[in-house]
Formats: sequence, C-alpha cells, structure tokens
Amino acid sequence: MNTNSILVVDDEAIVRESIRDWLKESGYDVATAESAEEALQMTAHKEFGVLVLDVRLPGKSGLTALKEIKAQYPAVKSIIVTAYPSEETTAEANRLGALECMIKPVAPEELEKLVREAIESLEKEPAVKPPAVKAPAFKKSAVISKRSFKTLVENLLKTTEVVGVKSKKGKYVFDHVTSFDDLRMDYDVTVNPPTQYLFPARETILKYDLTDFKKSAPVVDKSPRAIIGVHPYDIRAIELLDEAFITLNPDPNYIARRQNSLIIGVDCLHPSPKAFSPSMGTNVAETGFDLLLTDIGDTYMITVGSQKGADLLKKNVQVIEPTTDDIARQKMARDEALTRYRLSLNVARERLPKMLDDAYDDPYWQQRASTCLSCGSCVMVCPTCFCFDVQDDVALNLKDGERNRLWDGCMLVDFAKVAGGENFRHDKTSRFHHRIYRKGKYILERYGKTGCVGCGRCGIACLAEIASPLEAFNDIAEIAMNKQLEKTAESVRPEEELYAPLQAELVRVENLAAKEKVFEIKLAGGRELGQKPGQFVELSLYGMGEAPFGVATSPTRRGTFEIAIRNVGSLTNVSHTLKAGDTVGIRGPFGNGFPLKQFEGKDLLLIAGGTGIFPMRSLIQYVQDNRHLYGKVIVLYGARGPAERLFTKDLEAWQNDKSIEFHETVDRGDANWKGNVGVITTLIPKVQIDPKKTVAVVVGPPIMYRFVIVELKKRDIADENIIMSLERRMKCGVGKCGHCQMNGLYVCQDGPVFSLAQLRTVKEAI
Amino acid sequence: MKPKVAFFDFTSCEGCQLDVLNLTGEELLDLLNAVEIVNFREAISRRDDDYDIAFIEGSVTREAEIPRLQKIRAQAKILVALGACACIGGVNALKNNLKMDEALKMVYGNDAKQFDTIPARPINAVVPVDFYIRGCPVQTGEVVKVIKALLLGRKPEIPNYPVCTECKMAGNICVYELGKTCLGPVTRAGCSAICVSGGRHCWGCRGLVDEPNINSQKDILEKYGLSAERIIDKFKIYNTYTEVQK
Repeated sequence: MNTNSILVVDDEAIVRESIRDWLKESGYDVATAESAEEALQMTAHKEFGVLVLDVRLPGKSGLTALKEIKAQYPAVKSIIVTAYPSEETTAEANRLGALECMIKPVAPEELEKLVREAIESLEKEPAVKPPAVKAPAFKKSAVISKRSFKTLVENLLKTTEVVGVKSKKGKYVFDHVTSFDDLRMDYDVTVNPPTQYLFPARETILKYDLTDFKKSAPVVDKSPRAIIGVHPYDIRAIELLDEAFITLNPDPNYIARRQNSLIIGVDCLHPSPKAFSPSMGTNVAETGFDLLLTDIGDTYMITVGSQKGADLLKKNVQVIEPTTDDIARQKMARDEALTRYRLSLNVARERLPKMLDDAYDDPYWQQRASTCLSCGSCVMVCPTCFCFDVQDDVALNLKDGERNRLWDGCMLVDFAKVAGGENFRHDKTSRFHHRIYRKGKYILERYGKTGCVGCGRCGIACLAEIASPLEAFNDIAEIAMNKQLEKTAESVRPEEELYAPLQAELVRVENLAAKEKVFEIKLAGGRELGQKPGQFVELSLYGMGEAPFGVATSPTRRGTFEIAIRNVGSLTNVSHTLKAGDTVGIRGPFGNGFPLKQFEGKDLLLIAGGTGIFPMRSLIQYVQDNRHLYGKVIVLYGARGPAERLFTKDLEAWQNDKSIEFHETVDRGDANWKGNVGVITTLIPKVQIDPKKTVAVVVGPPIMYRFVIVELKKRDIADENIIMSLERRMKCGVGKCGHCQMNGLYVCQDGPVFSLAQLRTVKEAI
Repeated sequence: MKPKVAFFDFTSCEGCQLDVLNLTGEELLDLLNAVEIVNFREAISRRDDDYDIAFIEGSVTREAEIPRLQKIRAQAKILVALGACACIGGVNALKNNLKMDEALKMVYGNDAKQFDTIPARPINAVVPVDFYIRGCPVQTGEVVKVIKALLLGRKPEIPNYPVCTECKMAGNICVYELGKTCLGPVTRAGCSAICVSGGRHCWGCRGLVDEPNINSQKDILEKYGLSAERIIDKFKIYNTYTEVQK
C-alpha cells in the first residue's frame, strides 16, 4: 500500500474537486469517486491509505462504503465529512474507527492536518496482514436430534415469547406459538412474512401529553422474542430491512426489536409452487440468523450464525459433531430442494436494473396494471416492503396521545398524495410501475441488496394475478428479446437511400457579407423538405463530400428553402463558387428541431449571435407566421461589427415588425454605426421579461453560451426554459458515425436542440 | 363550552346507535366529559333541539323524512352520517330494485295502501354531509375516532384503501384462497377486516373505495365461479344505491 494515497468520495463535484486540489497541492496522491459504489470498485483493485468520505451519497452511504472497505483493509484511516451532522452519524463513524467527523464546509488546513496525522500514524503502524476476518469464537456447525430441538423450543417457550409457523386452514402463518406441537418446520411458504415481528403493522413510536410537551417520550418494544422457522429468503429480506433501518439514521424501534429477537431459520426444502428464490439468489442465507436448521432426516444440521445462537445451543441441548455423512446429507437435501422450484427468471438477475431502465416507457406497464385493484395485498404480504404512514391518536380525554406508525404501501391510491390534493402517482400504472422498479432496481441500487427475495407471496395474494415481479421481469425480458430479434440483420429492412442525397437545384445565390452567402434550394420534382425550425440538412457536393447546415427558412414558407454558408473550409469554399441553376445534393432534414409545443403560449426571448442567426431565422419566420400562438416575442442579435451583420434585410424587417421587439448590437462599431455597441450579453439586462412565462432560445458560437446562460440565470429563467442549439461535427446525420457524440448523446439525433436542464449533466456540452 | 351532540334515527335498525353505546365505561365517561349529549332517543330522555353536532343513522325512504332531515341540517354545524344506511343507502336500498308499489305489497300485503314509500337513498342525497362513519354496523372504535377528530378540529383518518390491505395486516388467509368470494378488494377499509377475521367474507357494507376497479373485481368473481347475475346481487346487498346511480 502507498500510505500517501488518498481516496476522496463525494457526490458534489465542487467539494470533491476542491478537496482533491488542496491535498494534491500538499503533495499527496489523490483519487476521487462520486459514489460509494465507485469507491468500492476502486478499492477492489487498490489499497488507499486514507479515505475522505461524504455520508450522504446517491446510492450506498459513505458509512456503508467505509464499513465494506474496512472489512477488506482494516488498517485504512478515514475522515468523515458531512453537511448533515447527527449523533447517529458521529456514533457510527466512531464505531467504524473514523478519525474525525467533520462538518461541511471544511477548512483546508484542518483537513490537511488530519490527513497528515493519519498518514503519520499509518507509517508507524506495522502492516496488517489481509486476513483480518476474526475467526468466530463458536463452532460454525453442529448436529442436534429432533428431540433435542423440541427441548430447545420448550425451554424457549418457558422464558420468552415465541413466534413460529403454524398451520391454519390448510395454509401456513407466522403466529404466536404456545406448544411445540403447533410448530411446523416443513412448510412451503407462510401467508404473512416474519418481518412483521421486527416491523409490525402498527406500532407506537411516541407517547405525549397534549398539555405538557415535556412529557413526550419515544416508545420502543424491547421484549425478547424468538422467531422460529424463518426461511432463507425471509432472512435475506430481514437483512435488507437491517440495511434500510439501521444504516444512516438507525431506527430505534426496529433496532430494539431486532436486537431482542432470536432468529432461528430453517432451510426451505419444499418450496411453494409460486416461489423463485434461487433466481434471486436468496434460497440460501449465510448471515442474518442466530441458528439455521436443515432437516437431514432424524436430525437437524445446524449452522450457527452468532454467539447468541451458540450460547442458546450450549445452554439447552446436547450437540453432536457433524460427520462427513451429515454434511453430505445437508448438501443433498439442499440440492434436491433446488430441483423442486417450478418458476425461474429467464434472464440473469444482474441484468434486471438495465433491462428495467430500457423498458421504463414500455406500454407493457399500462396493459399489465389495467386489472390492478389497488388493494394493497401485494405490498402487505411482502417481506421486503417497509414503507409506513405516521398517524396521531389522542385519547377521548384529549390529553394523552400517541404517534403510531402503520404499514403503508406504494400500491395504495393515496400513498403519494400531498396536502394540496395533488397525487404524484395517481394512476394504477404509475403505482404498479413503481413497485416493480423498487423490487428489481431502486432497492438494489440504494441498498445493494435485492428488493425481491422470490418468496412468491404477492403472486399468491394477487387476485388479478399480476403482482409477481418474476412474471413482470420475464415479460420485460421477452419484450427486450423480441425487440432484439426484430433488429437482427436478417429481418430488418434497410433504408436503401439513407446515404444517397436527393437531387436539388440552386434557385438563388446571394452574398450576405464578405464571407457568407445564402443559397435558395429547390428539391427535384417539387418535393417539400418538410423541415422543422432548428433542423439541419447535409449539403452534398459530389467530389467534395458533405457538411451539415442549419435550415434558415421556416417550413411555413413553402416551395424552396435556404441555407447560409460561411466560407471557412474546402467544401464551403467550393460552395461559394456555385451559381443559380447548379445542381447539389441534399440529405435530411435531420435532428430534433426546436420544441415548438413548449413555446406555445409563452413569451419568447430569441438570442442569436453571429451565424447563429441562420437557424434562428427559420424560427423567427415560423413565429411570425403563427404569431397568435405566442405571447411577447423579443429578438436579440449580435454581430462582430457592422460589416459582419447577416440577413440585413431581415434585420430591418424585424426592426419594423410591430409584433416583435428587436434589438441588435455589434461588438465593435465603426464611424457609421449608430446602434448599440457591446457583446450580446449587454442586451439581456435591457429587456423586460417575466421569467415564469419566458422561454429563451440561444443560438451562437460556443463561447457565447456560457456568458448568455449566466445572464439568463440572473433573470431567473429556469433551466428547462433555456433552449440551445449546439454545433458539432455532424458527418452522417443519422446517428452512426460518432463524430457528433458528446458524452452519451448523439447531437445529430438527440439534438442539436437541447434545454439547459438536459445539458447540466452532459459535461462535454458547453 | 362543551359541544352539544344529538343522535337521530331515520330508516334503520338503530343498531349503529347501539354500537355507540357499546363504549367501555371509561370511554363513555370521557365522552360525556368532552361533549354534552342533548338528544339521543335510544339512550336518554332529554329532547333538546339546540345542538352543534348531529349524528344521523338510517337512510331516507319516506317523503316525510326529507323535511325532518333538512331541519336537522339547518340546526347542526356538523352533520355526521352514521352507518351504512345513512352513508350509502345500505340494505334499505335493496327495495330500489323493485317498483315501489310492488315493494309495499310484498311487505304490507293488503295494508299497503296505508303506507307511503320512496326509493331509499343515503342522506347525502338529500342534504350535505360533513363526515361519514361507515359500516353495518359502525365500529365503536371508529365512532370514537371521528368524535375525537371533531373535537380536535381535524379530519378523521379514514382509509381510502380496500379491506384487503387491513385483511393482510391481520394475517388472514384470503377468502378466495379458500375457494370462496368476497368484496374486500373494492370495499373501503377501516373495519380491520372484521368479517374475514371472524371467518366470513366481506359484504361491502362500508361502500366502495374512491377508485374501485369494478371491472377487475367482476372478472375475478367470475373467475371464481359466480355468474354475472350473482355478481350483481353480491354488489347490491349494500351498494344498490351506488350501482343504480352509475
């Protein structure tokens, strides 16, 4: 290990990068990660001396990451940095051996000092050998006779509350047990999950006195309880609840119950016909229980999961050392059980999150959810569901009150309803969608554990027969596969003309300025181009190649269209030699164009700089021709100098058009120029706009965007209402060649028009 | 000043008022501490017409009941519908499936001429209602809950989800799993699934939830072997008025 190496984990770029820069300046070797997951990936390959961790991160928390990294590298030093300090965070940080829990914003000197001390102490410590996993103080496995198990349960019955599986009307339920004979260890699945004893359907969390605030006090249930006969998939569900309730803000009610519960699991050897836990990887449990039994005939093979479990055995029963035969019988029993599952996931479960991502908008969800009764059965029987509502209950004396939490669920109509009456998941489809995504994606990404353990309870409980996540997952996998099949090389019909330009004639060529010309073009056969404002075409000159140009004419002006070209390269150079009557090739239109629907009913602030006026002219014409659709329209135009002004006839016409407000400026004036002088941003503070009603459209050279955005943000225009058209090297125009790609986006397909909101996370954009 | 409370009965079996009286001794004392009951034919002899909160049991099934209800509404600051008949018409509305003269004849035979009757309706078909305490009969606990909410000046938290949710919370085995049928999936909860917990099925006495998926429920009943006719009958027991209105 290089003790000098530091890993900084923070999701806020500014914090992460500042810390990195400070520490780098001090001579350390610094790496950064944006999330716990990324940090874990990095630490899998490399050992760091010091970790600087933020607590609140998008997926797993920084503390969870620390816990996992510590398990691998016990010697690692850590410093926690948080903007949300709490006693719990500090306690957890201390428990994990963090040197300090710093509150954001942190002072560079302080952090640097701590890092220096950490590294000094590391250098003094002898290198720790990796296998630091503490050997348990108890034997991991044992065998007991079934008679001994009876003794064990009977002893428990004498001292503690016991819940376990009982038979009821031919089904099985978790319930209170008073006699060993009621206990069933060979069941398939219970109607209700055992998690209800850790997180009950209703529990009081606070008691208070309406007349005296000081008398309010939290309530927790610490009564000891043994939960017997928990199947591995339910144990895995409990481990998820542990993650949800214990990490970050340790929940006192859950923890009190968890710490006072003894969990005695049993391997599921006769699975329910609706179960699919092997597909979710949850048919086995290695942790999360005190004892786990496997029925191997006359005896139980026992896996001991905790000191508590070991003590329980020691105190109550005679254990037998397992023989190789016992171990073989346990393996056989488990293997045979595996053959009894009738359902399985038709896709690797690792692929589920991505698959669900791809299917987010699929019509499947609406069709699947149409018969949903919103009855809540699926979420009420689910062992991994843990959402709740909080309600106050005051006694009739109007003095004594309690605050209770009750199970709630995202499938219930009012779950996402807010005080104003708005319901953020108001239809069956969005609720159903949310539940399946929680089970297959969100929970996994948030807590690192599967959100569905394959118990099959919801599939049994759902009268509409739609609740099983397995069926939804398999349906989505099938849809994805069919989509794939449709696209195979054999079955797809190629677009023969994709790269073949259409023949077109130049009807007019006119100089705009020293280096710019406008070309009016007519497609052969009188075809309309059918462009939207903001779209572009590829101008194709045989022998020279192709280049993209924004269409400068609105589709409302039919018959021909114009493109304007600045002479800057070889193709543009040749284009400037063309005359009216010459033949050229045109491909397109391509790209998304301006979001015209979004503009309707709004005030428009159209800002064009330099050649940005080419595509903007198309939009301005369109707006003029549909003037009734918009509120106030303001056009701002900036050119370098009076001689570089483009489309001067149009500029004059806009100046005279009473229905629009037009302002222009030049960067540098000359003797004859009487108008505004200054860069385009100087015009923005001068116009009157209502930020709530205004959409700003910006087209110009790359440098212009940064400055214009700053001015627009000063005027409080929302990111969604700042629309930009970007220039990139769009070679093919059809999303193949890759030249125009910025981060994950293809400008020729996804753009060239974007809102600032879309571009906030696209680092290559501006 | 304690709010003055009155109880009135319209066409009903008066069982809901009896359930109000099922409060434990302590609760009853607390209630009497909190409110002044000025009119409650089933429990006391006092008959004051000066009250703030009126609880109405029963549906409206005779012309003469309409002005009487309107008069109560005019006096009460808060009007609460008590029980299935008042809230949704309840079993009284079963007669709406017949012609009124047929219904009279069926019940009173040759004496039918001595009575008048109109199609049964919930009280909100006649006057505006502020709060509903559902069920046949009402749950005493829910009556207390609503009274407490009124005293605290807040809206009582009555679930808008189906009985299934509470039935699962209670750890019940689904009636359908046992091969029988039930209206739980579309009926408003709040009863803690008392009928299923007691070994029966849901009859729909608390009325439908706000967004019941009736088509899906009917498909399910059919899947479990009920004919279309039987399905309608099942809904009609308590929900004839709602069914007919649709």
